[in-house]
Amino acid sequence: MDEHILELINVTREVAWLPWAVQYFFLIGISVGAVLLSLPGYWIGRPNWTKLSRLALVVALVCGLAAPVALVSDLHQPNRFWHFYVAWRPHSWMWWGSFFIPVYIGGLLFYAWAALRPEIAAQGRVDSRLGRLYRLVAMGEPRGAGLMKLAGAVVLVGAGLVALYTGVEVYVVRAQILWHTPLLPFQFLLTGLAGALGLVLVLNPIVGDGDARVEVKANRLLALVLAGVMVLGMVWLGLGYFDLDAANAQALRTVAASPAWRNTAIWAALATLVPFLIALVKPRGTGILTGLIAIHSAWMFRWTVFIDGQSIPKTGAGFYEYALPRGAEGLLGIVGTAGLCLFLLVVITALLPMPKRPATGAAETAFLHPAE
Amino acid sequence: MDRSRRNFLGLGAAAVGTATLQPATVEAREARHGGDAAHRWAMVVDLRKCVGCQACTMACIMENRVPEDSFRTIVSTYEVAENGKSATYMLPRLCNHCENPPCTPVCPTGATYQRQDGIVVVDNSVCVGCGYCVQACPYDARFINHETLTADKCNFCVHRVDAGLLPACVETCVGGARIFGDLNDPESTVSKLVASEDVKVLKPGEGTDPRVFYIGLEAEFQGRVDGTPTLWRPSRAKAEPSLV
Ligand code: SF4
Ligand code: SF4
Repeated sequence: MDEHILELINVTREVAWLPWAVQYFFLIGISVGAVLLSLPGYWIGRPNWTKLSRLALVVALVCGLAAPVALVSDLHQPNRFWHFYVAWRPHSWMWWGSFFIPVYIGGLLFYAWAALRPEIAAQGRVDSRLGRLYRLVAMGEPRGAGLMKLAGAVVLVGAGLVALYTGVEVYVVRAQILWHTPLLPFQFLLTGLAGALGLVLVLNPIVGDGDARVEVKANRLLALVLAGVMVLGMVWLGLGYFDLDAANAQALRTVAASPAWRNTAIWAALATLVPFLIALVKPRGTGILTGLIAIHSAWMFRWTVFIDGQSIPKTGAGFYEYALPRGAEGLLGIVGTAGLCLFLLVVITALLPMPKRPATGAAETAFLHPAE
Repeated sequence: MDRSRRNFLGLGAAAVGTATLQPATVEAREARHGGDAAHRWAMVVDLRKCVGCQACTMACIMENRVPEDSFRTIVSTYEVAENGKSATYMLPRLCNHCENPPCTPVCPTGATYQRQDGIVVVDNSVCVGCGYCVQACPYDARFINHETLTADKCNFCVHRVDAGLLPACVETCVGGARIFGDLNDPESTVSKLVASEDVKVLKPGEGTDPRVFYIGLEAEFQGRVDGTPTLWRPSRAKAEPSLV
């Protein structure tokens, strides 16, 4: 039987989660990834991680502080954000998220303060106009590592909760064909880590001292993480291709025939494979390149999941078209968050420039040698 | 109150067939509030009678002040070509007021909820416009209203129903294709049609248990329609400057 259906009249639904949401998931994912990268240096006290962890901490702060701004902006009624806090909605992962985010951001600030306290205290000993402010923020000289251990544990719990909720909040949406895969939370986590490593690699020569050992180490880690991203991608394809998981198979069937989706898939694969190969073969002298591609790839993953994912009609034929508006609902959101990140980076690095010889392996090292 | 405009004019429908109604889960039932639990409002759409005039689409827009380029209900229209012959297929779509709605539990503020009479509503003075419910609805029944900046959808014209009137789309339906009534009343036309006709629902595999039933719903149209998409697009996206 030869049958063809032509849709004559139907509704086109616009995206309900705007590019602001892409920015939020991108920034919070990177922030969580960067916190994980900062822990070996600050929490566990591995001396060979010191510089990388210091850079990662800056990345975690910049992205972590900008992310909630993007999230609130994604609400169509941002001034009503407090409605989350006067409701009891334990069935809603988004509701849980509204509590996990402050736990994470609060924990991150506490952790960053504990980690950077020796540096802040050292700045306070310099005779400058801001000396008093530094002394005030340092709250005396750091003593012992107990506080650092506690702060590390707090931020780790916060990061875990954020990673959990951001992944599951999207995964539970059965109606969005591309979102409802149990792999998604892990894909968010790994691509977030890759983005964090990308930013560390890009910032190393800009705000750090361009130490080649940091570059090589970050590139090696990046190769490892990207390998994980590729494995997850192949598992996703395999689950769909061999019909091992009904939701995956349906998702794959929906997008496989579309040339635009095929191009996106090829692009995404290249944006993972190319930095992986470069980082593996030539980890030295390529940091900016691999870093930029990794950042792009982490962002693109989220754009594809959220914006392209919402372009799949739930009942209609074909795909909805998406046109990026120039205003606050589109480009301005992307440029705005990028500008906010830049501003935060300038402020943080101006107030606490990267130490020439970082005084932190763990807090106690700095405490024992405060003048270094 | 239980009728279509056609029934009101004395032109009832009769046929054979059965359907089973899945009950709401305990969670879905417990989460309900407001409305009168004595009723369970539902709609039967008799596709054999729909002429695709979009009078219901217009009536809804007028009644509910739905902004330009947005729709709480629309009659999806398809041309089906088969073995050299072609025919037009009309499918009125609206919120299904599902018995187990996936759109309400995800709401982080409780702005959207199901009343005890089954109507799923949005309190737009509470809604933060997060769009989570829009994502969770498997039928694309929800959207963000550009004027109220909150979630919007068909609410069976709850203000009319509470006043003892029919929803505007039912009131206006020329063909008598939309029949509204109370499933808790075994004598209502909807109850009788659901019991006697071969009624179908959209996406039955989703576990949502819609309470909008269709007579004459073909399998190809029950889920996501596999066909050539419409060329028509809302003008709003085009009116606003865009980059891609
Ligand atoms: S059709 Fe969609 S919006 Fe309506 S009750 Fe069902 S899930 Fe909710
Ligand atoms: S858009 Fe409004 S009704 Fe929908 S989930 Fe968000 S707060 Fe609830």
